[in-house]
Amino acid sequence: MRHHFWEWPIPTYLFLGGLGGGIFCLIAILSMCVYPNEAIIPELLVWPSFIAILALGFGCLMLVVDLGQPMVFYRAFVKSTSVLAWGARLLTVCMIFGLIWFVSYLPWEWISGLANFFAMFRALCLAIAGIAGTCIMLYTGIFLSTLKAHAFWATPALPVLFTVSALSTACAAITLSAGWWPFELNTGSIEAVLLYTAAMHAIHGILHTVDIILVACEVVVLLVMVLSFLGAGNKTANRVAHKWIHGSYAAFFWVGMMGIGLLIPEFIYIFLGGVASSVVAPVMVLCGGLLLRFMVVNSDERAPLPGEDRYYNRLVDHDAEFIHKWTYGENVF
Amino acid sequence: MTRYCMVIDQRRCIGCHSCTAACRMWNELPTDIVYNAVLNEGVKGEWPNVHRNWLPTLCMHCEKPACVPCCPTGASQQDADGTVWIEYDKCMACLACVNACPYGMRDQSKLQPRLHRFVRKCTFCRDKRKDDPSAQPYCVATCHQKARIFGDLDDPNSEVSKLVGSVETFRLLEDLGTEPQIYYIPDLGGVRK
Repeated sequence: MRHHFWEWPIPTYLFLGGLGGGIFCLIAILSMCVYPNEAIIPELLVWPSFIAILALGFGCLMLVVDLGQPMVFYRAFVKSTSVLAWGARLLTVCMIFGLIWFVSYLPWEWISGLANFFAMFRALCLAIAGIAGTCIMLYTGIFLSTLKAHAFWATPALPVLFTVSALSTACAAITLSAGWWPFELNTGSIEAVLLYTAAMHAIHGILHTVDIILVACEVVVLLVMVLSFLGAGNKTANRVAHKWIHGSYAAFFWVGMMGIGLLIPEFIYIFLGGVASSVVAPVMVLCGGLLLRFMVVNSDERAPLPGEDRYYNRLVDHDAEFIHKWTYGENVF
Repeated sequence: MTRYCMVIDQRRCIGCHSCTAACRMWNELPTDIVYNAVLNEGVKGEWPNVHRNWLPTLCMHCEKPACVPCCPTGASQQDADGTVWIEYDKCMACLACVNACPYGMRDQSKLQPRLHRFVRKCTFCRDKRKDDPSAQPYCVATCHQKARIFGDLDDPNSEVSKLVGSVETFRLLEDLGTEPQIYYIPDLGGVRK
């Protein structure tokens, strides 16, 4: 059976899209719902928003690179009923409004006029970027789960898993990047230093707690999804679940995803502190999120037609390439 | 209302692959693309009671195709007569439809230039039927065993309509709910209802 039609750019895009959307979702929640009256909180989250814009932009680039005709990528905005078309629009909306919000905080003199103008719409832009980011997180999982030809994707657990994973990786990315440029700490003022320390402590504290919960939820959803396929899935999904649990993907699943990506960071978050909790664990969570997307996208087995495997396995490797070269590129059989 | 479908009689198919060859010739397909592979699971049974079960395939032209709603550009379309086809000028080869098709009947040729690829599939020879509505697809016209029968399912006098109504048939992966419009008459069946 022919599969793996989508190559490495697509799982990379799904990871980066979820990450960028999740960061904007969390920035909007932290700035507008959790600490609505603290002006310093959004200032500390400007750099994470830049990371999110880069992630979304690079994710879109991956999506375009994977197309058979990258130069006509704009055709993706044409049809409204397709999940992929909605995803392209959401990505665009999130990037545009996220960029406006980011620019409104830039400290450079030459752009101050534009930054001051955009500053009037900060709340609106962040709200729109946050909502679009939330939809992107949901969309990455829904996109795969609507392709019911692939038994392992066509489950309601997949959008939940991808959303939880996107939020978890977003928590990790914000933990790693909060408080950087363009925020400038006035070290001469004790009040400013205290305010900065308190705000950073609050952000790290809440993200730390949220990520502990999210990683625990991700472990549960992942195990429920894979083990339910192992026990009660149809033949195709069952075969993929076997591959994950004790087949060719077992090392990636148990050591990479469950161990390095989820359980060890969870242990570090709960029992260790310092650099391990604020740097090592978030990096491991990000690696786990990327590995999850690769494993899921590569598990694209569908129910084979009777004799299909036999037919395609018997085709000579590189036969087509040989004939193509032999006929000097002409379409001669 | 016209509703095109195909009945494939497995009792008649001898696995000569002439339908595959005819399709590739007439549609000028690249060498790595097959629209209508003829599959088989090998010899079954014990000697002397052995048989080989041929399964000629092609796009199922589903009544509820999974490949059409997922297309972000509107390139994948379905005509009123049920024919599912791709408008190449709109396709950007995102492969969403290739992954959506439960039958694996869509593909892009890797022999095409990297920046000018598009997804291909069987169209029931739509271009041929545009000039002559009564024309048969090339795979049907070339089948010397008359194993492939093409026609209008909504026409009670058509051969396909009579066969589907009178002979036991099956469709591939029916449980997915895509309502495929390719009906198979099983090779050891053909039992009258």
